[in-house]
Amino acid sequence: MHTTQSNTYPGTVGAAEAVAPAREVAAAETQSTIFLWMLTTVALFVILALLGIYMRLTQGGALVGLRSWFYPMMTLHGVGMAGLWFVGSMACACEALRKHVRASSAVAVFALAGTVVGVVLLLVSVFLGRFAAGWYFLYPLPLLGEWPAWSAATFLTSLTVLGATWLIWSLDVLRAVAERYSLSNALGWHYLRGETEPAVPPAVIIVTVSMIANVVALVSGVIVLVLFYFELLTGRPSDALLMKNLTFLFGHTLVNLAMYLALAVVYDALPVYAGRPWKANKIVAISWNSVLLIVLLAYFHHLYMDFVQPGALQYIGQVASYAASLPAAIVTIFGALLLVYHAPMRWSLPAVLFFLGLLGWAVGGIGAVIDSTIVANVRLHNTLWVPAHFHTYMLAGFAIIGGYFYHCGRQSAKADISEPIGRYQAVLLSWILAGAVGFLAMFYWAGAYSVPRRYSGYPIELAHGTTYALWAGIFASIFLLAAVLCLIDVMGSWRKQAPVRADDRLGAPSPIGAPAAARAEE
Amino acid sequence: MVRVSAACLLAVLAVTAGAGAEPPAAVSRAEGRLLNRSVPDIPLRLADGRTVALSSLWQDKPLLVTFFYAQCHGICTPFLAWVRDAVRDIGGLGSDYRVLALSFDDTDGAADLRAQAEALDVGGNPDWLFATADREAIARITNALDFWYRLDPATGQYDHPALLAAVDDGRVMRAVLGSPGAAGRFRELARELRGRYIAAYTLPNQVLWRCFSFDPATGRLAMDWGLVILGVPAFTAATLTFGLFRRGPRRG
Repeated sequence: MHTTQSNTYPGTVGAAEAVAPAREVAAAETQSTIFLWMLTTVALFVILALLGIYMRLTQGGALVGLRSWFYPMMTLHGVGMAGLWFVGSMACACEALRKHVRASSAVAVFALAGTVVGVVLLLVSVFLGRFAAGWYFLYPLPLLGEWPAWSAATFLTSLTVLGATWLIWSLDVLRAVAERYSLSNALGWHYLRGETEPAVPPAVIIVTVSMIANVVALVSGVIVLVLFYFELLTGRPSDALLMKNLTFLFGHTLVNLAMYLALAVVYDALPVYAGRPWKANKIVAISWNSVLLIVLLAYFHHLYMDFVQPGALQYIGQVASYAASLPAAIVTIFGALLLVYHAPMRWSLPAVLFFLGLLGWAVGGIGAVIDSTIVANVRLHNTLWVPAHFHTYMLAGFAIIGGYFYHCGRQSAKADISEPIGRYQAVLLSWILAGAVGFLAMFYWAGAYSVPRRYSGYPIELAHGTTYALWAGIFASIFLLAAVLCLIDVMGSWRKQAPVRADDRLGAPSPIGAPAAARAEE
Repeated sequence: MVRVSAACLLAVLAVTAGAGAEPPAAVSRAEGRLLNRSVPDIPLRLADGRTVALSSLWQDKPLLVTFFYAQCHGICTPFLAWVRDAVRDIGGLGSDYRVLALSFDDTDGAADLRAQAEALDVGGNPDWLFATADREAIARITNALDFWYRLDPATGQYDHPALLAAVDDGRVMRAVLGSPGAAGRFRELARELRGRYIAAYTLPNQVLWRCFSFDPATGRLAMDWGLVILGVPAFTAATLTFGLFRRGPRRG
């Protein structure tokens, strides 16, 4: 049952060296911040999820007395979760890249500190200033709301701190990649020419693509903030169309990249459990390079309702939305399926979470493609269908992040990472899955039945929205309770653990048919 | 590389800025608030003595509604004259829309209305309608369109603004509030009445870096500086990426 341990990838069955090269870059020289990121991510996730439950229960009529806090909490929940998803994915991707490139330890610590400062400012603007312009602070709402001017200024300062921090972080990651690879190799262009050397890990290609797109997104955010400040100082208004384009080039791209960075982690870590390498090739290079171009145009689907946006851009938005989801999704999901097919797969907690993440990505992706179709978007855009699909994505992303934290914890504790998922973990995952499916289904159904989003309560004509919201709050509570227990388990993975009792293992046939270790020994 | 890129960017800036036509006047917040506002169907007394429902006037084509009163020594006549001239300039009266000049002074009689029409040289034109209504009906429609008026006892004159509202099927599709303005604003309004949708910005001042400008004379959109700004993030990212990778991988 027990498997051979490798110096580089404990728990893998001799295939570690094939799975990924040993740490060519001295990891000891770069400080890992993954443990601190895990603590930050877990704490904020629980708090922000509680706010989400509060919102759904308020919409469900259960917390009507607290309704005046709905929009400030909607703002905090939205900005917080989107930002948390991004930094969580970014931290995991940076950790995965430590095997290959040497990023700056100082910048990594600076990124963590800057993020904490930004979050504190955000909390001040929302809790003390009741800032409530929504998570994408659409112009000119932040300047026109009933909240005090200082809370809007604090909110914008918070975004400035976060944006500047993440921009420096992204540029440092790019710098680190540039020290090891040429741009052509880092983007896998040599695969396009039919060359196979040098072998570039897929995670490096994905992170390079993501960081370049991320600079585009963050510079867009910087321009939006500069224009906000300019108006605050001079009273000169900005063009609403320009501001909306820039805001979604920033926000939509950033959350897409949060998913892509999480996928880089799957490319890096899943082979450890499959005992097979997941190598880059021409198909992987084509798909991710196409993503670099397309992901920057997909945000146009957020502006379908904007009559002043030229029609041609709307059609580009639809095509780009389809195209952005297809290459990366098909290549990644089929790649992952092929990776585990007939492989000596060890279905430990991270491997299961990675697959659940990919599953969620596929489901959310279908929801997104439907929503990005212009004729459907006319019906769905202002309904709960939109939060349905991005909550699916986000939960998928957090599943991968959680799995990777566990993976890192087990490696750090020098524990057996091939240990199959325990009975307790399986039960928790079942409850998480049931809670998540119920919670998301309420969103999808409500969206399909035209329940509008961003309503703190529903009028009598939309009474069915109240029912969906109440059930969603119940399902989300189940999800969060199970998720907290699972996260305690994830954090516990960092401790040196006593040997696991044999009767606490599922041990029996793994999900693909035969005991993992037995197949490994074959 | 960077210099060439910068030169290209500047060239694009210059070309697109030059292509920008005169931007349309901003729609004020007060005008913006009127958009899509429902107009009450009130009974009208026309200058020819007939009584009709207001809704009957917008049944087959949109209606331009403006307010006046016959004894006005102020803005009423100049504003009506501006509307008349703009209608003649742009065309479409009768085929695309008709005009209703509604007196908010319920003491105005049919003779006063006809005199006003004659003074403007539109008397007898079936698509130029002059009318009044009873006090309660006038209050309903002026309230609905945020049009205020108050009598100054010292002069016997009403203080009031000037308003021109384009009404289609009972709802306001565009409004022009204020003194006689540039013909461009009326052109926008007339194009809307003909079924075109014209971008409207409800910002009070001159806007910084628009993405597009609409030329009401030609009906065309032109790219403006804002679109160039939209390209800055990608340009910056490309420059930084090439800058970081320029030295190549570190050997050894």
